[in-house]
Amino acid sequence: MPQDVQTSPDAMASLGVLEKATLQYEVEQFLYHEAALLDDRRFAEWFALIADDIHYWMPIRRTVTVDNLDREFTTADGMAYFDDDKADLGMRVEKLQAPSAWAENPPSRTRHLVANVRLLEVKGAEVALEAAIHVFRSRLNDKIDHWIGKRRDRLRRIDGGFQIFERHIFLDQTVVLSTNFSSLF
Amino acid sequence: MLDHDRHGDSTGIDADAAIVPDLAGGLIDRSIYSDPRIYELELRRIFARAWNFMCHESQIANAGDYFINYIGEDQVVVVRGEDGAVRVLLNTCRHRGNALCRAELGNTKTFVCSYHGWTYGLDGTLIGVPGKANFYRDAIDQAKWGLVQAAKVDHYKGFYFATLDPLAPSLFDYLGDVGRTGMESMLTQGEVVALDGVQKNVIDCNWKIAVDNLFDWYHVRISHNSASRVGFLDQRLMMPMSQMVMLGELGHAIGGPMVSVEKQAQLDALSDEERRALDQLPDAERAKQAPIERRPLRSTAARAAMGPLGVRAMGHPNIFPNLWISTRGMQLSLRLPRGPGRTEIWWFTVLPKSFTEQQRRKARKFVTHAFGPAGLLEQDDGENWSQSTQSSRGVASRRYAHNMQMAMGQDEVLVDPSGQKAIETRVNEHAQRWTYRCWGEWLRARDWPDLLANRSPVPVGRI
Ligand code: FES
Ligand SMILES: [Fe+2]
Repeated sequence: MPQDVQTSPDAMASLGVLEKATLQYEVEQFLYHEAALLDDRRFAEWFALIADDIHYWMPIRRTVTVDNLDREFTTADGMAYFDDDKADLGMRVEKLQAPSAWAENPPSRTRHLVANVRLLEVKGAEVALEAAIHVFRSRLNDKIDHWIGKRRDRLRRIDGGFQIFERHIFLDQTVVLSTNFSSLF
Repeated sequence: MLDHDRHGDSTGIDADAAIVPDLAGGLIDRSIYSDPRIYELELRRIFARAWNFMCHESQIANAGDYFINYIGEDQVVVVRGEDGAVRVLLNTCRHRGNALCRAELGNTKTFVCSYHGWTYGLDGTLIGVPGKANFYRDAIDQAKWGLVQAAKVDHYKGFYFATLDPLAPSLFDYLGDVGRTGMESMLTQGEVVALDGVQKNVIDCNWKIAVDNLFDWYHVRISHNSASRVGFLDQRLMMPMSQMVMLGELGHAIGGPMVSVEKQAQLDALSDEERRALDQLPDAERAKQAPIERRPLRSTAARAAMGPLGVRAMGHPNIFPNLWISTRGMQLSLRLPRGPGRTEIWWFTVLPKSFTEQQRRKARKFVTHAFGPAGLLEQDDGENWSQSTQSSRGVASRRYAHNMQMAMGQDEVLVDPSGQKAIETRVNEHAQRWTYRCWGEWLRARDWPDLLANRSPVPVGRI
């Protein structure tokens, strides 16, 4: 697992407990809101929560032995399932709304569950966090997908809320047991 | 592994009772997508016979590097030995059959079985048997119990293939002109290196539906409408009215857009340096200045390697049975059978070693967004393939053949003075029909000599 952020509780040491609790509440509420927008297919509103410098990335995970764990995930110069900037993500959002995006017409039913939210670092207006996610997708009448994993997000405080400028998704499966990823994480 | 070798045949499926339908006439009997006997016959007579793509040499660069792949449903370990040689070993312990290698890739010195500890060298020899003296009383001949190796392993300019059938022709002959032209489409800027990471996902479809789609330039405008609406795909460049199909012996084919004779002549007038310079321009500028928009500006060496017709073919090559090469020659996809109604799709990526960092970044951006389960194109394919498979299964539905008759009898296979053959036409289903015709020949042939004696020659003239 790429250790790109401090995971020790010390990263938050400068904050008092009330500040931490308030921030935790704000961040969680933001994540729940964002998840609800995706589940309610309010994609344009969701996209407004994405910063211009977003890096939205899901590396490929492989089954490896313990002595090859350094190769479990592909890295920045390897392949990925998602490796998007704002324009790429914009195409996905626009596509999701096109009636001819057959993979989503009829639409999938999704539920984004976000849990185990841990604030990792606060640096000025930026907050790094890690959360466990469970994205459930029900498609047509009999297709079910469960995508469970961990998300590393970086949020930036803006007027009246947050924007996401980094979302790295690490799924807990290797071969993707799904027809596609037509949903967002 | 010969077809008459029935050791361990315990599937309970009588493949010999399979009725291989005659698909000439472009009517595709739907049973071929669901009949378990047909599927079993495919595993035996296609996958266990064919040269199957394993990986690129750069994925197993060092001694001890291994990569797991499949031949049909047999899992194999592709491994580079201490001697530098690449071997393909069945991933099953000779003792009780346990899978030796549980990882998808890695590096190791030996393969130790997790069940009773039989230990194999990188070359497959059995080098250790716990309790050999005490329990076996030395009555085991280790030399006889090494891992089973593929009958032949070879590579085409760094792309490794393996076959389980000792009677298979050489890889070079197997590929033939069309297969080699297809492979060369990945080498038009010289040597390549694989990017780390193979995208893998599972689709509930018959493997053949995922294969024949690669020649299907009819679906693009409809299936991928949303990808072009958002600007990812330029429908103009799909060139439905200007297509080339090359059919190769044993079922290989290339089908899709082509470069016109005039545009090719313009390209031929440019030196390799001039082409490289054009290729590095920003998209809009390149489109204005280069004779060929978006597609690769193949080198002068590529023209020699691909031939005068092959170099103009910009469609998708399929190396029979299941290796799809993308139009830009940067991706290879395997459609791995996992039962009649299930297919694992793998995407490998290779880029020219000569690419600048900027070209690399741009290419990587394109490939991560085109194919794979999240690909802006491929997202919309999978469900069509699975629904085509599922909806062909019903008792009534399966009585009605699929229609694969587009442009049948309406085109010509022309022979170039070089000897290369191609159809220059519009969107069509020639390559699909050819694939299924050859598929039937593979299934009807008892063994390689039978197949080689009775396969169709590449058609010439009216088709
Ligand atoms: S099954 Fe491998 S050692 Fe027994
Ligand atoms: Fe497609």
